[in-house]
Amino acid sequence: MKQNNSRLQAVRDAVNRVDLNSFRFWLQLAAFALFVYGGYFAIDLGSRLPLFSCAYNDEGRAAICYLLPLQHQLSQPWPRLFSIASITVITGFLTFVLWFIFLNKGWCGYVCPLGTIQDWITALRRRLGIRYSRYSQSQFAQLTRVKYLLLALMILIPLGIGGGFFSHDMSPPFCLICPARMVLPMFTGDVSQFTIDFSSKTAMIMTAVGISITGLFLVGAFVKKRFFCFFCPMSALHYLISKPALLKLKKDGNKCTRCGDCYRVCDMEIKEIADDVKTVNIMADDCIMCLKCVASCPEEGALKATFAGIPILESTEAGFIKRINKGCSDGK
Amino acid sequence: MENESPKIIPIQPAPYSRSRQAGESQNVLDHIVDDFQDNPASMQYFYDLFRRVYCHGDALQHEGMLVGTTCIQAPEELIYAFGATPMRLCNGSYHYDQRGADFMPAKSCSLVKATLGMLSSETVIPKIGKPDLIVNPTTCDQKKKASAMIEGMGYSVYDLEVPSVKESEASRVYWQRSVRQLAGRLQELTGRKLTRKSLKQAMSKTTRAQAAFRALHNFRRQSPSLILGKDAFLVTNAYFFDDIGRWTTAVEKLNEELAQRAKAGFKAVQSKAPRVLFTGSPPIFPNLKLPLLIEESGGVVVTDETCSSNRMLYDMTAVDEWRVNDMVDSLADKYLKPCTCPIFTRNDDRKRRLLDLVSDFNVDGVVYQAFAGCQVYEMEYRSVAEEFNRAGIPLLYVETDYSTDDKGQLSTRIEAFLESMKNRKKQRA
Ligand code: SF4
Ligand code: SF4
Ligand code: SF4
Repeated sequence: MKQNNSRLQAVRDAVNRVDLNSFRFWLQLAAFALFVYGGYFAIDLGSRLPLFSCAYNDEGRAAICYLLPLQHQLSQPWPRLFSIASITVITGFLTFVLWFIFLNKGWCGYVCPLGTIQDWITALRRRLGIRYSRYSQSQFAQLTRVKYLLLALMILIPLGIGGGFFSHDMSPPFCLICPARMVLPMFTGDVSQFTIDFSSKTAMIMTAVGISITGLFLVGAFVKKRFFCFFCPMSALHYLISKPALLKLKKDGNKCTRCGDCYRVCDMEIKEIADDVKTVNIMADDCIMCLKCVASCPEEGALKATFAGIPILESTEAGFIKRINKGCSDGK
Repeated sequence: MENESPKIIPIQPAPYSRSRQAGESQNVLDHIVDDFQDNPASMQYFYDLFRRVYCHGDALQHEGMLVGTTCIQAPEELIYAFGATPMRLCNGSYHYDQRGADFMPAKSCSLVKATLGMLSSETVIPKIGKPDLIVNPTTCDQKKKASAMIEGMGYSVYDLEVPSVKESEASRVYWQRSVRQLAGRLQELTGRKLTRKSLKQAMSKTTRAQAAFRALHNFRRQSPSLILGKDAFLVTNAYFFDDIGRWTTAVEKLNEELAQRAKAGFKAVQSKAPRVLFTGSPPIFPNLKLPLLIEESGGVVVTDETCSSNRMLYDMTAVDEWRVNDMVDSLADKYLKPCTCPIFTRNDDRKRRLLDLVSDFNVDGVVYQAFAGCQVYEMEYRSVAEEFNRAGIPLLYVETDYSTDDKGQLSTRIEAFLESMKNRKKQRA
């Protein structure tokens, strides 16, 4: 028993010293390959996934982002939606929740192809030696609300379409403006989404807005880390259902010196991760659970990620020193 | 005619080592070395260093330009990155304290007076030579006002602007800009450019030093202690002026010895020796009066929250993107955010830090030193005392200065304090 314990401790120590950045890079790459090209290998994980595995990437996709079927379901004519179809809406949602519960926002930090692309754009910028920009805190406080607004619209507009208030050309409203619709198919050589649909005025406006947003996405991600994730309605939806999630980001405020190291490396500029010493479940609504904060906290056990209550990655002094030394000698 | 001319016997200035000032250091060092048993063998490096520098007045060598600093808020990584050597000028000598009294009102902080006294004297000890620049962070009022006085002595001084609030975004941005401006000034001074490579090299130096410090810090958690606080203070004091690479190697050696001590079940003190956390105004050699009094009386200083030791070396910098810009901002964050200096408006972090040290180091009681005239520490005493009161941890507040006049009286107070802690321990056992 004792030997088992010490072996477990040895494994834990090794994990806590992991080079998180490269671990994450490879995992993201694998997930990207799976979700963007898995379709060619007949992988089909369903259509209730809590990440942007875009359905418009017809051939390559290994699953479908839940937002598309959700909008479709909600835009059914009301008589149907509020009777038999409500069951499919509910079961759909529950399947989505089940997927989500596993990784919590870890879907964003490790799996979502659109998130990964932004990280690659960041890596490119870094290679070029160009500096990133940050929001001021008041800007941040405003921006962080946008995703909830988008989420609300993403539910209300389809309902409006089903009720006959809006044109069907607006459906599915969010997908039409989502950068994933254009960016992800590109990876399988499909650029057909980069067009403006002139069939009607509404369609034209929506697709034109979509193209501009994609442009903005590419430029934004170049100057700002995880630019799009601040506005992502999926992220808002995640947060609303994150209570029962198995993967958790936890903080022990007593051990925190408020050194700000975690805040420093946070792509999402979450200040509370450093300054809040009272909250235990410290995952904020913008958090993407990349766990970079855990890896760059020098205080033993101040931050940790747990899965079903079991710690899987913990901040340690030794891990911190190892990573900083690596950075000093070869960091990017 | 020639033979008649009276022979002029030149007056030989007495060598420094025979001066009263050297004597002050000599006494303290002898006490540290000779009056305690079982000093770690690897402390010899530090004993010798202090003997050479403070008792014999040997000159210190340094690389590149010399940049004096009057506070831990001056980012030393930047100084190293410009190929210069930082030297902490905060001084602990009573001799200089008296000399510095000319500059400051009667009831001022000994540390500031001693630093002024040192800089104004012809024989600056440690013998570092004239700093090419003195970086004076605008912290407490006395240090702020010292700036112009130091300039008046013929030094070139750079006021590094420190905000007085540390939680707000405005102060963070302001401070980051201050630090960038310092980099600009250092560039002017040295004629070098700040590069990614030089900054990385500088950071790896300080990281190695900090890692060694943290290892030492961790050994001190052990109960009964493996090493006395007087030695630990001497080690961190040496960091003020010693070559950083040599210092780190010496600390790493000391750590190896402590690891062996731990394995052998060695005890540097009796098991029932009260474990003391030292906080407040910083003990700086030769003014180790209070820590020494504690350890002479059978207590042991197991950790501290002072800017001559723990606060100076503990907090480490994280960097996300290893580019000059991001590294400089990261350094700025590290110097501001975790700092528990009383010059800031709020002291929540200091209180939390103290409580954390108490529980991590198995502390029995706290000694709070406030230099007479150090208003900020004096003013924070109340809130800190309340915090410890609530937590049920005994606290002894000592207002003192660099003179040794109050030694007898202090020793009585400390003995009584330690005695009461022993009784508490017994009762609990
Ligand atoms: S927040 Fe970012 S990573 Fe998460 S689902 Fe949205 S785009 Fe993907
Ligand atoms: S890095 Fe760790 S110690 Fe520093 S502020 Fe964040 S949680 Fe606290
Ligand atoms: S809080 Fe931590 S896990 Fe969340 S986005 Fe920031 S660095 Fe990543």
